[in-house]
Amino acid sequence: MTDRSSVDHSAEGVHPAAKPFLFLGNENVKRRFIWIPLIGMLICIVLGMLYPQKHPLPIEKYIPGSWAVYGFLAYSFIVFCAPVLFKLLGRDESYYGEGGLPDPDYSTEHLHEEDH
Amino acid sequence: MFDLMQINPGLWVIAAGLVCALIPKTSATSYIRKFLIIAAPVFAAWLIFQIYDSSEVLGGKLSFSGIELTTLRIDNLSVVWGYLFCLAGLINGIYGLHEKCRITDSSALVYTGAAIAGVLSGDMISLFIFWELTAISSVFLIWKGGDRSYAAGIRYLAIHVLSGVMLLAGAIIYAGANGGDFSFNYIGLDAPGGWLLLLAMGIKCGFPMLHMWMQDAYPKASITGTVILSAFTTKFAIYALARAFPGTDILIWIGCVMTLFPVFFAVIENDLRRVLAYSLNNQLGFMVAGIGIGTTMALNGVVGQVFVHVIFKSLLFMSIGAVMYRTGTAKASELGGLFRSMPYTTVFCLIGAGSIAAFPLLAAFVTKAMILSAAIEEHLYIPFLMMLFASAGVMEHSGIKVPHFTFFAHDSGRRVKEAPWNMLAAMGIAAALCILLAWPWGGYQMLYDLMPYEADYKPYTVDHVVFQLQLLFAAIFAFTLLKRFKLYPAERRAEIIDADWLYRKLGLNIVTWISAMWTRLGAHTNRLRRSTTDALGRKLYQAFSPAGTMSEGTPSGLPAVLTAGVLVIVLAIAYMAGT
Repeated sequence: MTDRSSVDHSAEGVHPAAKPFLFLGNENVKRRFIWIPLIGMLICIVLGMLYPQKHPLPIEKYIPGSWAVYGFLAYSFIVFCAPVLFKLLGRDESYYGEGGLPDPDYSTEHLHEEDH
Repeated sequence: MFDLMQINPGLWVIAAGLVCALIPKTSATSYIRKFLIIAAPVFAAWLIFQIYDSSEVLGGKLSFSGIELTTLRIDNLSVVWGYLFCLAGLINGIYGLHEKCRITDSSALVYTGAAIAGVLSGDMISLFIFWELTAISSVFLIWKGGDRSYAAGIRYLAIHVLSGVMLLAGAIIYAGANGGDFSFNYIGLDAPGGWLLLLAMGIKCGFPMLHMWMQDAYPKASITGTVILSAFTTKFAIYALARAFPGTDILIWIGCVMTLFPVFFAVIENDLRRVLAYSLNNQLGFMVAGIGIGTTMALNGVVGQVFVHVIFKSLLFMSIGAVMYRTGTAKASELGGLFRSMPYTTVFCLIGAGSIAAFPLLAAFVTKAMILSAAIEEHLYIPFLMMLFASAGVMEHSGIKVPHFTFFAHDSGRRVKEAPWNMLAAMGIAAALCILLAWPWGGYQMLYDLMPYEADYKPYTVDHVVFQLQLLFAAIFAFTLLKRFKLYPAERRAEIIDADWLYRKLGLNIVTWISAMWTRLGAHTNRLRRSTTDALGRKLYQAFSPAGTMSEGTPSGLPAVLTAGVLVIVLAIAYMAGT
């Protein structure tokens, strides 16, 4: 059961172990985070050219960083499908008349109605 | 006297569950229940260790109405699932220590025991019994999710009982064609009843279009219930497939489709427990495809994947369960920034996310690669590309979406307590295992020791590490780039309709329409029948009553003569029909 008294929306209540990592919530840090996967990806592409796969697919021999290209395109495709799929498949939470509605015994969702 | 080594170890866990159900509910007896929930899986694992001696062990033989039952079979395949389910039972037990619920404790134990007993069964009748028992015992975990879970529980039960009935029918057909032999071994699709058995197993492990029960029921179960449910049912079905249908080509394609379609549902789903249920479906796809490939490397990969999957999937469900326990919700749109108040849970969730995404040094890195490499070895390039695409999808929903929207993203302002100690302990054990079982120096080799065939696959080669990191870094880069340009869709509260719409909406509407038509038809029929009988009665009265037409124009005795004539004809026909 939810401990409702523990829900506190103030800025206080940060766990002591989390205090050294509060910088992760900084907007500048979030914006600059993009460099980590980008640099990691580029390093791996270079390493991939130096250490090619032992058993590549026939087409992979001609595309440097083939898995990076594939991963980027696959991920982007999935995300770009999301708005279309949401329009097609998204319904109101009470659509089936049984689920999605806040359960007072188990949920505090009714306290936070706004989407964000 | 009975021989302990002849009894299926799962039965002891079931017995512990029944004891939990029967002992009175007091605060003192709750400690007994908690003791049993920890001790029973440990005892079962000890028994498996004692019984198994590296060769197939058959025991617990019974004869029932001329049918030979082998209620205990431990071999190189079933032993892995046996140990795994005991381990899962133990971790789940620790996770649920705070919960003072007799129903949860007893049904969890019976469910765990049924799963253990099922995989250690040597015949299809025993398999069927435990197959159904897993369904019946686990539905209580769903119903403990509150009022809104009742209908989902009923649907879950109906679908699983149907699966069991199909399993039994397939088993009877199969045994009928094999001289009454119900032994559960390789079956294949060409055997009589093979398709029925495949379908029964397909329902339980979430084949496409048969998967909806998972996303319907799991997110509605209680917090502890969802964690427990994620461990057993589907992996029990994977065991059955691995034993009965290895190397069945159609499973490659079914598995590949299973890896793909959940990715597209998970990206738009707001309920993170449902996201994880889709992710579970996706991971099962890798296993089904591996079973379909059927080579020794693929089957080793499947066994390894099942083992680590139970651990990291439980870890993910446990971390989201801990968040739900503290905040009351698992909706991505309601969460964010929780790393500030739940740092340990955040770390555990990140380890689970990294494991499922197959980061080097984390659980699935070794096992998923074995399945993919087996596909390449067999020149199955299209399935390989499908699974690689799905790997990027796994990174999207479980690797990034779940931890990001729960613990990072925008700050929801919720400042809650860290998870209770027992939840942290259970997550800590699972996280440690995720690292241990992928550890390059003696770690994954422990997993290899459990595999049914000798494993010589080397996962930590430079090319494998580099190319896997290419895929994962590229996916993370795509995410950050899309977020930067505000192209990543915001999480929105909604009900995402899936194939269960066919029976929850369309089917229900059709039944409602037929019912309404039947009622209206019934009213019309009643009116017609009443008017017909009234008219007939009126005509007869007009003809035969003392004031009727028959009495007017003819002697009064004539109707009596006519009636007697009709009676004679009827009696004559009845007499002839009788002879």
